Amino acid sequence: MNRPPLILRLDISKKRRRIALWIPLFLIWPIVAAFLIALVPLIVLAVAILWPFGWGKLLLFSGPRIASCLCALHGLEVNIERKDRVMFISFK
Amino acid sequence: MSDNQRRILDMLAEKKISVDEAQRLLSLIEPERDTETKTSRDTSGRKRNLKYFRVVVEPGAGAAGERVNIRVPIALIRAGIKLTSLIPAHASDQVNEALREKGIDFDVRNLKEEDFQELVEALSDLEVDIQGGKEKVHVYVE
Repeated sequence: MNRPPLILRLDISKKRRRIALWIPLFLIWPIVAAFLIALVPLIVLAVAILWPFGWGKLLLFSGPRIASCLCALHGLEVNIERKDRVMFISFK
Repeated sequence: MSDNQRRILDMLAEKKISVDEAQRLLSLIEPERDTETKTSRDTSGRKRNLKYFRVVVEPGAGAAGERVNIRVPIALIRAGIKLTSLIPAHASDQVNEALREKGIDFDVRNLKEEDFQELVEALSDLEVDIQGGKEKVHVYVE
């Protein structure tokens, strides 16, 4: 698994307005991890309840799959430039 | 030289097969060798480590259009394909219906990681350039 992105860079400019942000994702991941660990008993309970209906498997496997998607965001870059508009998103 | 080629030449040297037979056998293993070399290798023969899928759209000469530069990690596309296996059946039907409305006849349940791997390997050997009236689209992996 890749390492998760540590910084999200956003740069949006429209005519004279410009928003440039460096969002430190490395500060958010520990909070998300702590939150998820706290939720583990509830998730296990929900999986047990939903298993006979076929949704338990979905709930159980969606966590790791979503985590791998988030980790794979590292390196994603979108840059769209128009005449007077620029949008740049980068996961570093 | 591959093992098969060497074996054929050995058989020819030992006079177990004629020159014509050896030639025919060598021509038969040639396509096999071509497919082997078709994997993602660079000019020096090393296996390339393909990481990103790139789409670049540039306005044509004289046109003042949009400039798009997208770099998508291949790992992200793989993870996305794995995620599609978790989509419930009724949601897949809705996605297929929405795609059909847009003129794309495709079943998301048929999306397989192996198919994507084939696409990446194919794109490692070629780059797709589309030149329309106003813009130029360049698709490649790096």
